[in-house]
Amino acid sequence: MLDIKKLTENQILLLDGAMGTELFRVGLPPGHCPEAWNEEKPEAVASIHRSYFEAGSRAVLTNSFGGNTLKLAGYGLEDRTFELNLKAARLARSVCPEGGYIGGSIGPTGKFLKPVGDLTEGRLVEAFRPQVEGLAAGGVDFLLIETQYDLREALMALRAARETSSLPVFVTMTFSLTRRGYYTMMGVSPEAFVRAMEENEVEAFGANCTLNPADMVGLIKAFRSLSEKPLIAQANAGQPQVRSDGSTFYQLGPDEYADHIPGLIGAGARVIGGCCGTSPEYIKKISEKIVQFSDKIG
Amino acid sequence: MKPELNNLLHSLKQSIIQGQVDEAGPLARKALASGLEALQVIEKACVPAIEEVGRLWEAGDYFLPELIAGAEAMKAAMTVLQEALKSAGQSLKSAGRVIIGTVEGDIHDIGKNLVASMLRASGFEVIDLGADVKIDKFVDMAERERADIIALSALLTTTMLNQKKVVDLLVSRGLRDKIKVMVGGAPVTEKFAREIGADGYGESAVQAVSVARSLMSGRGGSHG
Repeated sequence: MLDIKKLTENQILLLDGAMGTELFRVGLPPGHCPEAWNEEKPEAVASIHRSYFEAGSRAVLTNSFGGNTLKLAGYGLEDRTFELNLKAARLARSVCPEGGYIGGSIGPTGKFLKPVGDLTEGRLVEAFRPQVEGLAAGGVDFLLIETQYDLREALMALRAARETSSLPVFVTMTFSLTRRGYYTMMGVSPEAFVRAMEENEVEAFGANCTLNPADMVGLIKAFRSLSEKPLIAQANAGQPQVRSDGSTFYQLGPDEYADHIPGLIGAGARVIGGCCGTSPEYIKKISEKIVQFSDKIG
Repeated sequence: MKPELNNLLHSLKQSIIQGQVDEAGPLARKALASGLEALQVIEKACVPAIEEVGRLWEAGDYFLPELIAGAEAMKAAMTVLQEALKSAGQSLKSAGRVIIGTVEGDIHDIGKNLVASMLRASGFEVIDLGADVKIDKFVDMAERERADIIALSALLTTTMLNQKKVVDLLVSRGLRDKIKVMVGGAPVTEKFAREIGADGYGESAVQAVSVARSLMSGRGGSHG
C-alpha cells in the first residue's frame, strides 16, 4: 500500500493539473456530466491522464470529482454512482505507468448541511459511500477528498472512506486569503482544519483551488507549524482573464507558475499539483523545477 | 419612543444580526403587539440589521453560515411584518424585480443562492431560475415578468461568455434599454462586465445588493 510519509520523505510527489478544463478542451459539451464520459468517451479521458503522466505527474486523479450521488442526481445518474466511479478508476489505471499512482478524486456535493442547507450528516455519508466503493473496486491507490469548504462535509466523506475501504485518505480544503487571514468560505481556519486532520489520522492533507501559488505559501507554512504530516499544495494559475476575441486564459503562465514551486516546497509542501487553469504544460514546467530543487528537499 | 419599545426594536435587530431564525419572527410580532407600526419596525430594526450582517461579512467577521442565518432571520421577521402591512391594506414598495440564475453549462449555485437571499432580504422580488439556465429563458422570463434586472452567475471560464450572450439577446430583441443586467461569479471581473456590456458587477453578495439598488435608482422607478 502507498506509504505517503515514506514516499515524500526526501522527494516530491507530483500530482496532475486541472481535469475539467482539459475535458472541455477535448470536446465535453457544457452542461454535460463530466463523469459520464468515463463510459461515453473513455479514450478522451484516458488521453488526458496519459498526457499528465507524460508531462511528469507521478500520480493522476480520476475523473470523478462530481461523482457523489447528490451531484450525479443533477444529471439523473445517481443510480450509476458506483459504476461511473469504477470506470473512472479503471480508466486511469489502464494508462498508469510502472511506479505511477492513481488517486480517487472526491469533490464536494455542492449542497449544505443543516442549518445552512437541509442535508443531514447521514445523508452525506450515503452520498459518498458508493463513490468510495467504486473507486476502491477500480483499483485506486489513495483517495483525495478535495476542494472542501465545510469541515463537517470533509469529515463525512472521510467517514465513508474509512467505513468502506482501507485506502490511504488525503484531504484538501479550499481557503481564501481574507482580511483576517486564511479561511474557507464556511469559516474554517487552518488551525481547526489541522486539528481535525490530526484527530482523524488522515495520511496527508493540504490546500487546493482559489489561491494562487504565491498566496498559498503562507497557508502551507501555517499548516507546517501545526503538523508533521505530508502537506499537499494545488494552487490555481491566478485569476482567469478574457482576451479581446472572447477566449479566456489564466493570469499565470506555466513558467511563472513553476517559479513559485520552490517557495511552496520551502514552506513544507511535499505533494504538489495544479488546480484551475493548469494543464500538462504546467506540470511539465513544475516537474523540471522540482528536479532542479530535488537535492534541497529533506 | 418609550424605552421598552426601543429595547424591543433593539432585540429584533440583534436577533437578525445573530441569525436567530426562531426568535426574529416572534420578536417582530411582539413589536407589532406593542403598538409599533410595521413600516417603522422594518426601517428601524430590520433594514439596519441586514446591513450590519452584510458589513460583518464583508469585513471577514462573518462567513457563509452566519450570512445565511442572518438572511433567514430577516426573512422570518419580514414575513410577519409584511402580513401586518397587507392586513392594514398597505404594501411594501418592492425594491425591484430580479430574474436570477446561473448560466447555461454551469451547475454551480452556491454564489447565486447567496445573492438571491441577500436581494430578498433587502426587499427585492427575486425569481430564481436555478442553475444551467438557457440564454433564452432569462430573456423570456424577464420579459414575461416585467423584470427590472437580470442577474447572471457564472463560475467557469468556459461559461462566463454565456453572460455576454444574454446581453446580446436582449439587444437583438430590442429589450436592452428596458432591462438592466448585472453579472457575478468567481472568474467574472468588473472589466469583463464592462467588456460584455453588462450594467453592473458585484464582487460579493453584499455588493450585489448595492449594485442592484444603484441600477434601480438609475431607472427612476420600480414595480409596486
